[in-house]
Amino acid sequence: MVDTPILELHGVTKRFGPLTALKDLSFHIGEGEVIGLLGDNGAGKSTTVNLISGIHKPSSGHLSVDGQQTMFTCRSDSADAGIETIYQNTALVDSLSITRNIFMGREITNGLGFLKQGEMREIAMEVLKSAVHISGIDSPDKLVGELSGGQKQAVAIARAVHFKRRVLLLDEPTSALSVRETEALLNQVLRLKAGNVSSVLVTHNIYHAYQVCDRFVIMSHGTKVFDVAKEDTSITQLTEYVVLT
Amino acid sequence: MTTTAEGAIAPPRHTPRLLFRQLLAHPAGSILLVFVILQVACITWALLHPDDFRYLSPQNLAILMRAIPVLGCLALGVGVLMIAGEFDLSVGSVYALTAIVMAVQVDAGMSAFIAAPLAIAIGLGIGVLNGLITLKFGLPSFIVTLGGLMFWRGAVLLYNGAVQVRFDPEPAFTGLFAGTLFGLNAAFLWFLALVFAFYLLMHRHKFGNHVFATGGNRPAATAIGINTGRVKIIAFAIAGGMAAFAGILATARVGSVQPGQGTGLELQAIAACVIGGLSLHGGRGSVIGIFLGAMMIHTITNVLLLLRAPGFYLEMFIAMLIVGAAILNQFIERKGTA
Ligand SMILES: Nc1ncnc2c1ncn2[C@@H]1O[C@H](COP(=O)(O)OP(=O)(O)OP(=O)(O)O)[C@@H](O)[C@H]1O
Ligand SMILES: [Mg+2]
Repeated sequence: MVDTPILELHGVTKRFGPLTALKDLSFHIGEGEVIGLLGDNGAGKSTTVNLISGIHKPSSGHLSVDGQQTMFTCRSDSADAGIETIYQNTALVDSLSITRNIFMGREITNGLGFLKQGEMREIAMEVLKSAVHISGIDSPDKLVGELSGGQKQAVAIARAVHFKRRVLLLDEPTSALSVRETEALLNQVLRLKAGNVSSVLVTHNIYHAYQVCDRFVIMSHGTKVFDVAKEDTSITQLTEYVVLT
Repeated sequence: MTTTAEGAIAPPRHTPRLLFRQLLAHPAGSILLVFVILQVACITWALLHPDDFRYLSPQNLAILMRAIPVLGCLALGVGVLMIAGEFDLSVGSVYALTAIVMAVQVDAGMSAFIAAPLAIAIGLGIGVLNGLITLKFGLPSFIVTLGGLMFWRGAVLLYNGAVQVRFDPEPAFTGLFAGTLFGLNAAFLWFLALVFAFYLLMHRHKFGNHVFATGGNRPAATAIGINTGRVKIIAFAIAGGMAAFAGILATARVGSVQPGQGTGLELQAIAACVIGGLSLHGGRGSVIGIFLGAMMIHTITNVLLLLRAPGFYLEMFIAMLIVGAAILNQFIERKGTA
């Protein structure tokens, strides 16, 4: 654990009209830390992820980055802070190539805005080779629509790796993946951790979470009910908290 | 997972079969193939029977070159918008309105070199308006621009009544848009230049990448930080601006404007795009496809005319082409996202 957490939530409440999705939620994410965000359906996990990535604004409370109070008003604010979100339906465009997806919205261009295609292709190839070890991707020119769910997630992760993200938010990334692809994805999270990238993993599979996470935050009805380091808990205890609260 | 870093990415092999499959996988691949076959057939037939089938006669080539740019320019604008995931049914009416405004202003003494940019500005403005209404109220652009189709057609009559307007600009203007250069029709040269410019914009510029991303998966494009609303409004503006430009080309060529002209052109423009391999759902297509789609419609029209086929054959033939192309597109898209 490090002294100042990369990211902190302070007493965050989020209301959607009459519904209170998050109630006075506080937790922190340390550098290179992998957090398992667990809880029943409707507990508020996705809302928390959307809030951190700037898609929702808190009704009250605030976020801080590196100890500085911040306000994310849109997705690009959180991107500037080094936060990347990987959704279950990954944010990729099927009709574009892998290269174009990796550089979507952050294209390498000359002064006039024209694309430097060769350079982008080279980097994409490099990132796919070195950072993402999922088989079957043989060319960065392949359309993303032709990839499997796991390969798509690999591309999304490659994007996060290349743009040196500090925090990766993964909202149920494994729900559509095969056993093998899930393993690859979880290993990827660990490899990024070795490079000091933090992750928040939202999942309903406590075994997956237990495999890679350093700490667990369990939510119920919009609040945190349990916050525990891996060495102080067990799968049995985590399951009890998720089911019984 | 077992793939080694070295073996993970092999360069694509260039066997003929692979090249053929790559051609068909390209959004405009199959249309290119059909287009080339059609041209080869027409040219062969024309060489064998030069008196019966005057496809290659200078007069016929001149007719083709004059006819293609109007539909072509409309299709370029409509096509960019379709790739962004929206439709514009109002371009035929905007085409007539902006041409009438230009002609009336020139008649009243304005220089055509001022009236033409004015027409384009009106086209851009109407496009932006279509975009704002569509996005602000979250409506299907199909409905918004269907309203535009009727509204601006009415505005033509309100502005100048149901009368033809003569267009009599300075000779330099006519020369620039309807003259000839190196034996080629000026309008056709404008069209070729615009095809090239649109190719650069859509396939080589980051704006094009944002258009494809917006049409292909809007939530994803938004999540990565692309201002998809802005992208769509610019695409709407391009469609309106190109409609006005098509009006300028047509008016300079004919020397007059009919208030009813351009009726049905919006559907032909969409047809050209569909034939050219653009997806009806957005995000897929190419500028070369739009170009070939427009060329295709006019080549077939031309061939049927040369064969003295009655007009209804033409409509039926193009209808079959559109539906056939749409089926093919659907097939390719399904395969792509399987
Ligand atoms: N945009 C929204 N508008 C209104 N209510 C919302 C919105 N997003 C989420 N909610 C509500 O907030 C609550 C928390 O939803 P959230 O999606 O965060 O749950 P979750 O923990 O991710 O559940 P799951 O495990 O099923 O994905 C739910 O009651 C949901 O209906
Ligand atoms: Mg959720």
